[in-house]
Parts: sequence; structure tokens; C-alpha cells
Amino acid sequence: MRYFAGIDMGSTAIKIALMDDEGMPAGRTAAPTGSHFRKNTLAALGLLLEEEGIDRSDVAYVLSTGYGRKLFHDADETVSEITANAAGARAIAGSDAVRTIINIGGQDSKVLLLDADGQVRNFVMNDKCAAGTGRFLEMTARNLGTEVDELGDLHRRCSGAPLPVTSTCTVFAESEIISLLANGHGREEIVAGVHYSIARRIVRLARRIGIEDGVFFDGGPALNSGMVAALEDELMRKVTVPALPQFTTAIGAATLARAAWIETREQVDA
Amino acid sequence: MDKERLERLRKTTGVHLAMEAKETLRQMEEDFPVHPAAMQYFYEQFRIAYGSGGANEDGRKRVGTLCVQVPEELVRAAGAVPVRLCSGAHAFDQVGAEFLPAKSCSLMKATLGMLSLRSTAFSGTLDLVVNPTTCDQKKKAGELLEEFGYRVYNLEMPASRDSEEAREYWHRSVKNFGAALERTTGVRITKQRLADAIRATGLARAAYRRLHGLQQSRQALIRGTDAMLVTNAYFFDDLDRWTGAVNALADELEDRQDRSVFVAGKHAARILFTGSPPVFPNLKLPLLIEQAGGVIVADEVCSSSRLLYDLAAYDEQALYDMVPAVADRALKPCTCPVFSSSQDRIRRLLDLAQTFSADGVVYQTIAGCMPYDQEQRTVGRALAAANIPLLLVETDYGPDDHGQLSTRVEAFIESLRGKARKRA
Repeated sequence: MRYFAGIDMGSTAIKIALMDDEGMPAGRTAAPTGSHFRKNTLAALGLLLEEEGIDRSDVAYVLSTGYGRKLFHDADETVSEITANAAGARAIAGSDAVRTIINIGGQDSKVLLLDADGQVRNFVMNDKCAAGTGRFLEMTARNLGTEVDELGDLHRRCSGAPLPVTSTCTVFAESEIISLLANGHGREEIVAGVHYSIARRIVRLARRIGIEDGVFFDGGPALNSGMVAALEDELMRKVTVPALPQFTTAIGAATLARAAWIETREQVDA
Repeated sequence: MDKERLERLRKTTGVHLAMEAKETLRQMEEDFPVHPAAMQYFYEQFRIAYGSGGANEDGRKRVGTLCVQVPEELVRAAGAVPVRLCSGAHAFDQVGAEFLPAKSCSLMKATLGMLSLRSTAFSGTLDLVVNPTTCDQKKKAGELLEEFGYRVYNLEMPASRDSEEAREYWHRSVKNFGAALERTTGVRITKQRLADAIRATGLARAAYRRLHGLQQSRQALIRGTDAMLVTNAYFFDDLDRWTGAVNALADELEDRQDRSVFVAGKHAARILFTGSPPVFPNLKLPLLIEQAGGVIVADEVCSSSRLLYDLAAYDEQALYDMVPAVADRALKPCTCPVFSSSQDRIRRLLDLAQTFSADGVVYQTIAGCMPYDQEQRTVGRALAAANIPLLLVETDYGPDDHGQLSTRVEAFIESLRGKARKRA
């Protein structure tokens, strides 16, 4: 059996997806990025292959993407996370179902518009800083003495109006949240306020290129049901969240790895 | 500023400048092998200008210009050498940031920052600085330059190019400018002198057009970043020597075409570059495009094609016909967004996209440049209607956004792959 690996080297986590000859998923893993990109990636890949009982020599093509892609010289090819994300959404939901992709990552957020074939037609990314990204959610959880995966529940329990969190800067927002807590506001309202603040920012970004129906929401923060609810409110439409939103880009990279390998083989055969 | 601090600032800025220039040249030369041999001349010009020893002086009066709109033919006819001062250096940008509003564009901060240092090593001795009143930031720059101790001439520009009133106003403005030049140099602008200047600059422009035409080649003969370096050298290089070097480059490219020596693959995405000007050493965005596998085949920027594309044409060898011809050359074809209408620029872009078989357009706005920022809307709509993919980038001279930009540019180039394959 021949396998293909897509490695998404994000700012927070390394995600790896394996695919077999038929294009079926053959395993996945996630590991913290840490400061030793290459070492951690190789370790995570090694562990995954061991778990799945796959020999390294059976991995025919490795494609890396994400923020650290160029630091991973062991890959056969690198591709930007935008192209990989689109490929992932196509593979998971089918190109008919997706026109707009909203991705919130560890330290950036982006909106992609796809054409009828599922190819990237236009995209925008947040400018320069970590405002409205996963890092923002991590900071919120830390200050409220909770975990990122608890934020969805807190949001659901919010009964009043969410509190406005107006600071764009993650650092200033942190002091804003601390003073809201000090003033006796509930964690539920603060969390909902943070979700709405991120959602409004990303919708503003999305309006720059236009939003089309068939919205696909992925990246780690899409696991947070509060974030999904706030985003749907701000977009004023439903979004589709895949089962494993944090793996979309890695799955896309694996799909592209398989396609690249087939293409190279065809050229060799011809 | 006290003397000691000024000296220190000059020294540190000089070090930063040399580092920046060195890095840009390193990327240009090393990241892309198979350069035409004739490019060495241009690399060397920048190594000298930014590394070892500043502007060359030959006793002639030097007239600094702050914009492409200054009719250089008149400056040359008055016996002076024009030097385009618009700077692309982040080192100078940081100097200018000390006294200009935070939202000024990098180009203004860098240019005024450079001039504020009053160092002959950077800008040479300037007998006059000509400041066309184009965008608001440039309009206000004149006074500041006087404060620095320069002799400044504010060349008044109309806000529109389409009306007869605007044309008359501009003709009067250019005529007065000619008189001011004569007062500066003590040389009268005679019809013979002006004819010579029109001819010499015309030959330079004809040489540029050869290069420009060769960029239409279905497979790229020269990288866009190299072509930009060639036009950037026009800012300060000796006119005839530059013309000779460009013709030598064009000869070599023609020869390479016969031998099928190309600098990019058939499937490389062909990019049309527009927006705020990329000026050496700030070739950040053009370099990112070509490092991502694209190739810039044409541009619509005032530091390259807009600087050199048009020729002055006159019917009678008499000053009353030649001076207006020179004035028209500077004003009429200019597609700068400071003018009220954006229609000519749109037409030009659509035409360039078609003649150069561009797969996509990259539009650079230097943060703080309102006219280009505003025109993104109209230009973007027109390109969308013509089905031409567009990447809008707002950036500045700083290196901070390099990582983020490289992802965006790569994704854009990747998204053009299908189109490039179909074309090839």
C-alpha cells in the first residue's frame, strides 16, 4: 500500500493527515508546535506511522503547508495554507457545497472565496496581528481560569447581553477582560462578548471580498460552539462545521500530495 | 537637531541603508540564477550608489525631482542633471517617521527623511528641488524642504487632466518652471538645447520600449524585478550611459530569445504589477511574487513604465511648440490616481493585461497613500468585470509583514496555476 502525508505546521499545533492510494483517510495526529518545528514534526509523523503500522518508505509523497512549511525540508513539496485549506474543504464537503471558507487559526484568520470548481478565487487575511484568532481565545480562557474547550459551554450559559470587548489588540483586550472581571461581571457574558468581538472582526474582513452561501467554518476555534453561534449571528446565515475542523488544511495537503504524486507518475509514464 | 545627533543619525542610517541594499541585491542575484549578463551593469550601479560612495558629481548643476511629473527635458536643456529623489529605503523611512505624521506613506517619510539629513553621500549636492504639487503629502513637503535649507520650486499641477483649462494651467506652470531653471543654472533654454534634450531622452525612452516589448515574450526573457532595477537606475544614472546599457540588455535578450533561453518556465504565472511605486531597495513585494514562482511581465507604476513609456512629440522646432509638447508628455498620459478620473488608468491596465497575457494583477498600496487606496475600488471592479484575478496588498517599507505577505502572495500565485497552464 502506498500512502500520502499532508502536514499542516501551524503556529500552535502541527496537524498531520495520511491518505491511502484510493484517497481514503489513513490516520491523523496533532501535536504542539513548540519551538523545534522540524524535530517535533518528525517525531509526530514517526509516532503516527508507528500507530498505523505504516512503514516510512511506503509514504510516497509528503506535502507541507502552514506557517512553518518552509522550515520542513523533508517535504517533497510545500504549498500555502490557503490553497491547502480550499483543497481540504473540497475533499470533505465537496466543491458544490462550499463557496466561502472562514478559517480561524492560532495566529491568523482568513476568508476564502471559491469558484464553481472549488478553486480559490479570492481571499483576505487579517493584517499583521493576532486580533481575532485562536490566540485571543487562549488568552481569554487563561484569564477566566478555564480551558479553551470550556468556552462553548460558558457561552451557552450566557443569559444576558454579551459584554462588549472593544479592544482589537490581544494585549489590551487582556486588561479589558481583567477589569470586567474585577467589576463583578460574569464569565459567561465576558466569553460571549469575546466570541462576538472575534466574529464581528472576521465578518468585517469577509465583507471586503463578499460572502457567498455555502459557508464552511474551520480551524481549531470552530470546535467552540459559542464561536460558531456568534459567527452565525454576525453572518446572518448558517455555517457548516466539519467533524474535525482543525484537520481541514492537513487533509487538503494530503489530497494535494496524492494529486501531485499521480501527476508526476503520469509524466514519468508518458 | 544638534550637530552630534545629526552626525550619529547619518552614520547609523548609512549602515542601515547599506545593509538593506545589500540584502535586496543578494536576493535578486542569488535567488534567481540565469540573469542576462547585461544586468551586471545595473547591479553595479546600485552597489556603488548604496554601498561605496553616493552620488557621482561632475560639476553640472543638479536638480532633484520629487515626482515623475517633472518634465526632465527642460532640466536637461537648462544644462542641469535631474535626479529623482523618491526613496525606497526603510532606513530613511525611519528617519522621516521622527517628524512626519504616523499615517504618512513610507515613500514620503523615506524621501523627506533622506533629505532632512542633508548628507551629500545620500542625495548629493542639490541646487534646486522641484516639488510637483500632486498628492496632499507632496504639496506640504515643499515648506518642509525649505526649512531643511533647500531651494525649492513648487511646480503647480492641475487636479484634473481632461479639461482645456487644466492643460492651459499646466502649460503656464511648465513655462514658468523653465524660467526658474534658467535662473538656477544661468543657461538659457534655447530651441537647439531643448531639441537635443528631447532627442537624448527620447532615445532613452526608445531603449526602454525595446525592453518593454521584449517582456511580451510568451515565455519570460527577463524577470520583472530586474526590469524594475533597470528603470530605478534611471533615477540617478548618466542618461547616455543608461541608454547604452539598456540597449545592450535588449540586444542580449533578443539573442537569448533566438536561443530559447528563458528566466521562468512556460507555466509561470504572469503578473501585471500596479499601485504605489516599488523603489529600490524596497522591492519587497515584487521579489515575493517572483520568489513564489510568478514572473512580473508588465507594470503600471511611476517608478517604471510610467516613468519611461511616453515620448514628447512636437511639429515645429520652435519653443512655443516644443515646451507645450514636453508639458503634454508629462501630463496627458499620466495615470497617477491623484487626478480626479481613474478611467485612463483602468484602460491602461486592461490593455497591458491583454497585450502581456497577464494571468493576474498585483496591486500595491503603500500604507498611507490615500489616492491609490481609494482607486482600488474602481480598478478592482473593472478587473473583476474583465475576469482578471487581483491581489490587493497594503504594505510599507518595514520588514514586519514579510511572513504574512509571502503566504498571501504564494496562495495567489498558486490560484493562478490553472490559468497559466491553460494559457501555455
